[in-house]
Amino acid sequence: MAGSNQPLNPNDSKMVVPLNMWVLISNFKLAYNLLRRPDGTFNRDLAEFLDRKVPANANPVDGVFSFDVIVDRETNLLTRIYRPVEGDENHVNIVDLEKPVTAEVLPVLVFFHGGSFAHSSANSAIYDTLCRRLVGICNAVVVSVNYRRAPENRYPCAYEDGWKALKWVSTRTWLQSKKDNKVHIYMVGDSSGGNIVHHVALKALDSEIQVLGNILLNPLFGGEERTESEKRLDGRYFVRVKDRDWYWRAFLPEGEDRDHHACNPFGPKGRSLEGVTFPKSLVVVAGLDLVQDWQLGYAKGLEKAGQNVKLLFLEQATIGFYLLPNNEHFSLVMDEIKQFVNFDCS
Amino acid sequence: MEIEIDSVSSPSKVKEIDGLLADVGYKVKSSELHQVAQNIERLENVIVNSSSSDISQFASDTIHYDPSDIGNWVDNLLSEFDHTNSLPYDFSQLSDLAQDQHQHHHHHHQNHQLKVVTTVEEDSAIKLIHMLMTCADSLQRGNIQLAGSLIEGMQGLLTNMNTNSGIGKVAGYFIDALNRRIFGQNNIIHIENDVLYHHYYEACPYLKFAHFTANQAILEAFNGHDCVHVIDFNLMHGLQWPALIQALALRPGGPPFLRLTGIGPPSHDDRDNLREIGLRLAELARSVNVRFAFRGVAAWRLEDVKPWMLQVSSKEAVAVNSIMQLHRLLGSEPDPNNPSAIETVLGWIRSLNPKIMTVVEQEANHNEDGFMDRFTEALHYYSTVFDSLEACPVEPDKAMAEIYLQREICNVVCCEGPARVERHEPLIKWRERLGKTGFRPLHLGSNAFKQASMLLTLFSAEGYCVEENQGSLTLGWHSRPLIAASAWQAVPETLRFDH
Repeated sequence: MAGSNQPLNPNDSKMVVPLNMWVLISNFKLAYNLLRRPDGTFNRDLAEFLDRKVPANANPVDGVFSFDVIVDRETNLLTRIYRPVEGDENHVNIVDLEKPVTAEVLPVLVFFHGGSFAHSSANSAIYDTLCRRLVGICNAVVVSVNYRRAPENRYPCAYEDGWKALKWVSTRTWLQSKKDNKVHIYMVGDSSGGNIVHHVALKALDSEIQVLGNILLNPLFGGEERTESEKRLDGRYFVRVKDRDWYWRAFLPEGEDRDHHACNPFGPKGRSLEGVTFPKSLVVVAGLDLVQDWQLGYAKGLEKAGQNVKLLFLEQATIGFYLLPNNEHFSLVMDEIKQFVNFDCS
Repeated sequence: MEIEIDSVSSPSKVKEIDGLLADVGYKVKSSELHQVAQNIERLENVIVNSSSSDISQFASDTIHYDPSDIGNWVDNLLSEFDHTNSLPYDFSQLSDLAQDQHQHHHHHHQNHQLKVVTTVEEDSAIKLIHMLMTCADSLQRGNIQLAGSLIEGMQGLLTNMNTNSGIGKVAGYFIDALNRRIFGQNNIIHIENDVLYHHYYEACPYLKFAHFTANQAILEAFNGHDCVHVIDFNLMHGLQWPALIQALALRPGGPPFLRLTGIGPPSHDDRDNLREIGLRLAELARSVNVRFAFRGVAAWRLEDVKPWMLQVSSKEAVAVNSIMQLHRLLGSEPDPNNPSAIETVLGWIRSLNPKIMTVVEQEANHNEDGFMDRFTEALHYYSTVFDSLEACPVEPDKAMAEIYLQREICNVVCCEGPARVERHEPLIKWRERLGKTGFRPLHLGSNAFKQASMLLTLFSAEGYCVEENQGSLTLGWHSRPLIAASAWQAVPETLRFDH
């Protein structure tokens, strides 16, 4: 057998997730294997062909409708906006798309999808479905950012796109809550999206824009060191360390290692957050995610810097648990998120 | 196909697409999730064993079908991959005398396991099994009339069922056997047993597993010996021995002098089958520079063989190899004055002081006195074997293998007394029996297990599994072991028979 490859043991992962979830995540893993080339390039055409995409739908489905908006013409930066229908509407006109919100307080979730910086889009079915669920659960508007991806667009493109989208959202008068005529912004992201949330929040520090909270689901962080969790869980629950390495090599600037601050924000090249007004954070860590030591380290880093952080550690959860609702971790996390964004008293 | 058939849920449920996967853009039927998962695992294994550049190239070159139909997408990748890659296993030590790589057909055939059984068919199947049991029961009670009418009824049922696979096929053979038991033989198929055996060898992995495992053990037992003697209790076409000869040829330090004594039935007409096989094996041995001598011992029954016929020398390391032969000795009439056939034979085996005795037997209990018990056991066992044969697409191997099995079934069901030679007993009973007659088990080792599993992946369809059972190995279909391979050594004793 090929020497350096980890022997696969599907039995581990099969025992901890429902079968349809196992099929879903394994299917991704398989497809992604076909897309990464050893020379660091990415088979983008095949990736787009394999990705299940859904169009926006201004007709409400289960009380949610969506539409796409170009936020920056220069870079073709798109966002998909999900809104709850108000009252008994079952039909939305074009004028209704950007109709001002009527709620006293309406959270606006700026959402960054995952995919290790290389995969997926705002219109990927898995993320479209997740965003729709968030609308219902949080009674919020969700703005999903279609940021530029690696390896074609390395650091800092994704962060810049996120920052542009954040600025755009903050200046939409139709998204302002009635109570204070301000947009109540939270940022949510999973995997690479979680990483983007942190870095966009950093950018916002030196501005007028107030982010009320960060929600990071299995965020992607890393470093040069091989942590205990990486060694222990390598290859056992859908992910291998060498895959993670590939994605960092694809995202980080050429020649940089994983201690770059994008990857390792509290590492040797990181920025201190002491004395800074950073948004409160909800960090969700899956106990079977091999990068958990980095994620736990992130939460600790926030804590040490005196920031408000809540850590949710789900012992038996794997990556992608939030993509399907048929597991206890999903409901738990959604409840926490709901509370987190509705705690808003300001 | 299971004997216990659960009531099937309504047809609409069977067609149901998994709703949650549909929400995220994928079409997979709930009932197919397991199969799809299995195929994903297979594809993962294939990918893990390939280089990354191969995978990328393959991904670009191959045609991708609708990605939302995961099952189909994975299936197509699997078959595409199979055509572009050869399996990276070194089987120079396994190359066989006559057979070549047409066995690859076994590896990735269109194996859509989903059998859509209509409700009507299911009802018939349940009825059929019920009638089979009742028929066997009435036979045991001596109610021939009832048994006969049940047979007629079953034959009628069969006309409305699919008899090419599944329960219809197996039931057919058992109904036939019951018929013969009551009314005697009608049409006898005149094909030589050794020919059928050869096709059975080709059609499914049981015999290959047996040979392979036994050879591994024999090879290890022969380590360090320059004169070795293998005694094969049932030579047939000598299919087991080319691999051993080749392995001995490649032995570090050089091959030993190999003697092979093949036991088999006397030939009809003017031929001498034993000698012919011996000559072929001698040819092979010569071609790989192994000094070789062959001797054929013709005997109708194993209990007719006397140890002096084997001409074992004290300087040789002896291996006794019994592939599905020992159970044939269990049918002799019990005689308090004389030792039974099995005791006699095991006795002289011990007297040869073999380095190893390799025993392969069907893992089944077909030696119960009660007809009903035997019948039920056999029905379960052969259903499983026939199930596994479904995975073999190669003809005429499959058809011949079925005839081979049919003969076994007939013997188990129709015959009594010395005529019933297919007296299979499970490993647990052989352990007891061999332990009592002065043999102790030799562990086959984890290496044998791994190699057997690897052999399986090479030559067989999904569903076969190798298991370890206290140092012995079994090969089965899904969770049912069907054949068991074990190795033994004689416990030294102070008394020895002269031979």
